[in-house]
Amino acid sequence: MRSLVTGSSIRGLPVVTIAGGEDVAEVRDLIYSPEAGRVVGLTLNKRGFLGGRRREVLPAETIHAIGRDAVMVDDESSLLHPADAPEEVGAPPSGRDVTGDEVLTDGGTSLGKVRDVVVLVGSNGEVVGYEIETASGGTGYIPLPVQLAVSGSTLVVPEATKGFVEDDLVGLGAAVDEFRSTVGI
Amino acid sequence: MSERFAAATGRKMVSRASAEELGKLAHIVVDVDQRKVVCLTTGKRRKALLVDWESVSGFGPDAVIVSDESALHEARDDRERAALDGKLDLLGKRALSEMGDDLGPVTDVVFDPTSGAVETLVLGEHEEPATALLGAGSFAAIIRVEPRQ
Repeated sequence: MRSLVTGSSIRGLPVVTIAGGEDVAEVRDLIYSPEAGRVVGLTLNKRGFLGGRRREVLPAETIHAIGRDAVMVDDESSLLHPADAPEEVGAPPSGRDVTGDEVLTDGGTSLGKVRDVVVLVGSNGEVVGYEIETASGGTGYIPLPVQLAVSGSTLVVPEATKGFVEDDLVGLGAAVDEFRSTVGI
Repeated sequence: MSERFAAATGRKMVSRASAEELGKLAHIVVDVDQRKVVCLTTGKRRKALLVDWESVSGFGPDAVIVSDESALHEARDDRERAALDGKLDLLGKRALSEMGDDLGPVTDVVFDPTSGAVETLVLGEHEEPATALLGAGSFAAIIRVEPRQ
């Protein structure tokens, strides 16, 4: 059983230092790498000036944990000016927004369109699934394999994903491990 | 015997030298690294003053005894100004686990009135040893937890 949150519920969370107990920023958005299958960083709302330069990105590798109520970092030094961050965080390539992409199984069935990413609570950005809009217009949650093929507008997932379209995050949390063992990862 | 922040707040502070009441205990300030009470405050706003723990000669059930009135001092730095405003209070502070989950407010703090050592944080129905306190600031007190699997 895994505890999960959608990307939209991470937006707006405070970024809090463990050592200082201070909220030093607020999450503006997630920087998601579909190739890596994970959140590689967060963009932040303006706070925390250092030498007049805005420190508005947070690389995932310096995140202690993404929780339900806050994103935890060891201290303020984790917040970086984009120029000081790894390129995939400071200047991510455009066109990586997966929202609206069609999800196709490798057997050729469309499961729906991507609405949001689903992140493992307590991780530093591990994406374990997607929230999708199903063909009937409803909401579904699918687990992701670690590797998947992505083009500009389509994601190809294993055929077995068809059996793991869940109605809610609790269902997905329960299904992730079984799905992963089914597809052999 | 342990003392508790919630019960101690508002207790009278009395000078040992003059036996005069100096005010009521307003805030209890903890140093997170030492996990120990480092000073107390009394009074409000412009009249607010601090007393270092070293000047407290007795922390009893009915009164806090301070060596003498000259032990009361004004804020000497930003940290002490924050202490006077209650911004450093552990009592009532939002507790966050180090994994980013809200644990509710700190409802009480248990400490040793002789040494000032903080023993336990009370989070509603739940208690955490002082060693679980990783940090505290104006936003939250951060509590160590076992990472989730």
